[in-house]
Amino acid sequence: MEEEDQQKILDLVKELVHRLLSQNPNPKTPNSNPNHNPNSSDFQNALRYAIRILSSRLTPSIAPDAAAIAESIKRRLATQGKSSQALNFADLFNKFSLKTGPGSINNKWAVLYLLKIISEDRKTAKNAPNTVSLLPNLALNDPDLNNDSRVLHNLKRGDRDWDNGVLLVAKDPENLREIAFREYVNLVREENEVSEEVLVRDVLYACQGIDGKYVKFDVNADGYVLLDTVKVPRTTRLIVRKLCELGWLFRKVKGYISESMDRFPAEDVGTVGQAFCAALQDELSEYYKLLAVLEAQAMNPIPLVSEPASSGNYLSLRRLSVWFAEPTVKMRLMAVLVDKCRVLRGGAMAGAIHLHAQHGDPLVHEFMRSLLQHVCSPLFEMVRSWVLEGELEDIFAEFFVVGQPVKAESLWREGYRLHAGMLPAFISQSLAQRILRTGKSINFLRVCCDDRGWADAATEAAAAAGTTTRRGSLGYGETDALETLVFEAAKRIDKHLLDVMHTRYKFKEHCLAIKRYLLLGQGDFVQYLMDIVGPELSEPANTISSFKLAGLLESAIRSSNAQYDDRDILDRLRVKMMPHGTGDRGWDVFSLEYDARVPLDTVFTESVMGRYLRIFNFLWKLRRVEHVLIGAWKMMKPNCITSNSFTKLQGTVKLQLLSTLRRCQVLWNEMNHFVTNLQYYIMFEVLEVSWSNFSNEMEVARDLDDLLAAHEHYLHSIVEKSLLGERSQHLYKSLFVLFDLILRFRSHADRLYEGIHELQARTVACSLPSQDKKKSRRQTSDKSSEPGSWVSDGRKALTQRAGEFLRNMAQELDAVSKEYTTLLEGFLSQLPMQQHVDLKFLLFRLDFTKFYSQLHPVK
Amino acid sequence: MDPEAAKTARESLELAFQMSNVLDTGLDRHMLSVLIALCDLGLNPEALAAVVKELGREDSCPPPTPTAPSAP
Repeated sequence: MEEEDQQKILDLVKELVHRLLSQNPNPKTPNSNPNHNPNSSDFQNALRYAIRILSSRLTPSIAPDAAAIAESIKRRLATQGKSSQALNFADLFNKFSLKTGPGSINNKWAVLYLLKIISEDRKTAKNAPNTVSLLPNLALNDPDLNNDSRVLHNLKRGDRDWDNGVLLVAKDPENLREIAFREYVNLVREENEVSEEVLVRDVLYACQGIDGKYVKFDVNADGYVLLDTVKVPRTTRLIVRKLCELGWLFRKVKGYISESMDRFPAEDVGTVGQAFCAALQDELSEYYKLLAVLEAQAMNPIPLVSEPASSGNYLSLRRLSVWFAEPTVKMRLMAVLVDKCRVLRGGAMAGAIHLHAQHGDPLVHEFMRSLLQHVCSPLFEMVRSWVLEGELEDIFAEFFVVGQPVKAESLWREGYRLHAGMLPAFISQSLAQRILRTGKSINFLRVCCDDRGWADAATEAAAAAGTTTRRGSLGYGETDALETLVFEAAKRIDKHLLDVMHTRYKFKEHCLAIKRYLLLGQGDFVQYLMDIVGPELSEPANTISSFKLAGLLESAIRSSNAQYDDRDILDRLRVKMMPHGTGDRGWDVFSLEYDARVPLDTVFTESVMGRYLRIFNFLWKLRRVEHVLIGAWKMMKPNCITSNSFTKLQGTVKLQLLSTLRRCQVLWNEMNHFVTNLQYYIMFEVLEVSWSNFSNEMEVARDLDDLLAAHEHYLHSIVEKSLLGERSQHLYKSLFVLFDLILRFRSHADRLYEGIHELQARTVACSLPSQDKKKSRRQTSDKSSEPGSWVSDGRKALTQRAGEFLRNMAQELDAVSKEYTTLLEGFLSQLPMQQHVDLKFLLFRLDFTKFYSQLHPVK
Repeated sequence: MDPEAAKTARESLELAFQMSNVLDTGLDRHMLSVLIALCDLGLNPEALAAVVKELGREDSCPPPTPTAPSAP
């Protein structure tokens, strides 16, 4: 049998050498013809050389594992960029390895290995054609024929080695190495009560969270440990403990997932939480795949040291630790996340995971990225539908925009707000604001403006941003895309909203109407209104009918230029009676109101209207004072006539009369100067300037928030400059005292002139009987020493009464004048202390001639 | 050798030959079959590869040393 084999080998080698030589005709040897003579010296040399090589003690430097060799060949092909060949090869190898049974090749690995080496050799030969040959040629010179027999002897032994394994070798008494190995194997077997295969299997169980036979979960140690009763070396115990960390981590992650899943229908886990669980589950299924492969490999027995393996894919604990390196890193990450996210939900959870993604390790980074892609998808979906459709699809309160049911008018201000806790870190604050506003705009358009045009704007925005309006088109890591989408959507929707506000709801027209009617910008209307409601308002507040006032308002509108205004605007103008107490006059409670209606009531909210009301009340009072002063002037104007008719009065009385009238005139003038300038200031320095700023800002406003801010700014500047602000409360009070004083002055002046008229009438009545001798009577009255008639008696009494009356009036006017001076002085001294720069203009106007500052120099 | 085994052997050889082509070893079918037979007989593939390499080199014919032509 052996002889036969050897003969066969020899024949085959001969054939091989023959083939090789004939394939490679040598130009240097002329006698080498294609048909080599088997007896030629060349052939003999080559054959001897070949046998020498074969008999050398070259042993394969790798484990006999066909699959591993195939794998390495594949990898090499792939790295050389021949991936199609690699695939082809893999396919061929699969078929090749399936060929078993009679007639097939037994030593598959050897064939593969042979092919691999030849291919590599050819490659290197091609790359470096002149490399020195592997074996020196001197081998050919060895004439020792015994060599050949030794070759064959060795071959025989080698052959046996592969077949029968270690036992045969161990029988060889010369092979000390083998014996040593055998002893070592025995030693290992003695030391380990449990074989490594079993331990590996147990560790694999533990890594799936199942207690094995020897490796069990220990609550005290909080981990999987090898039972103490099992006798194994310390190193094994340690490595088992170390490997089972994976099991502990797995238990944790798995526990979290099942806990969340169990909780799900009853409690709200939240879509982000569910997505997180799903992502973890995906990772775990990858892990299961690995475990399945490992478990299959664990079935292969572990060869002991020198034993040749039946299959290369056996698993030892050490191999396991290599296999587990990457899954452990991932599992550890997942466990950390699970710990972090246990109490979090929604955006906060995504944010927390995002913080962990900021990692330098590319493996961790990649892993977290794919995890976050899952986790964030519900969140991004919410953003998308919020920005493009205004839908708040947030059943579990996870989104960073929170909506609350409010009335339409406060929808914009209070309907939605950002929830800072749910805002993940990868969405910046400004982006979040923009997101909030865009969705809010859509809702505002839908609810308050009853508008449908935004849908087109949203579609357009989505098209511009390059995404579709369909679901799931955004993902984590595409913050730029999100930003573009939000930006485009915001731009278009804001523009649409402003268009609607301006064209359909005529925002600017309404602002102008408020300025004209509530801020008394329409002069003729105000004048007329003041004229016709004045008498009515002097009545006590509780006797005034607001219906009557509404009628008066209507007639004021009709008789002024206001009648040409839009009917819609005029309809909104109403009379409002403020709640009044006893003793209030109509003046105190009367005010105008403007009904803004949806959606403008978003801008003109109740508090805003309240401030307008305050401004209105102030302006109304100012107008009233002005009106009163004008009324007084009307009465005072004919005083030259009256004074003419008093020429016949007694000198002292006449002088008294003149001086009283003059004092009255001077005081009136002073007051008029103040009121006129104050009014000028309010109208031109405050209202018009603020309005012009406001309309400029309105032009550049790009969204409703800008518009609101502009309006707020407008209103604020009016309030501040008109001394209605918090800081100028003191000034405002003294101003009102001044106004009251002026009104009081009016009543004094009224009384004075009434008295004078009465006096005049009496005087005329006295002189009626002696009208014919007017001149003489004047003389007599001047002298008053004429013999007393009833007329002269009456005149005397009259003169006396007139003197008394005038004296009283003069005293009262004096008092008023003194009070006025003090008050005005107080007012003027407070004025420079105001922060507002524009109030300086008021002071400048009032004290244009430096009259007041010279009168009361600043100490 | 029954026909089944012969078929298997042929197919195996064919597959090996295709793999050899993929790897660009430059072996022809006959040579490959010889090599496979040698492998099956338990020869060291590394040594076989060395023989193929040494004798197959284009520019290295064995130097013509006068040695006794003695085949075992």
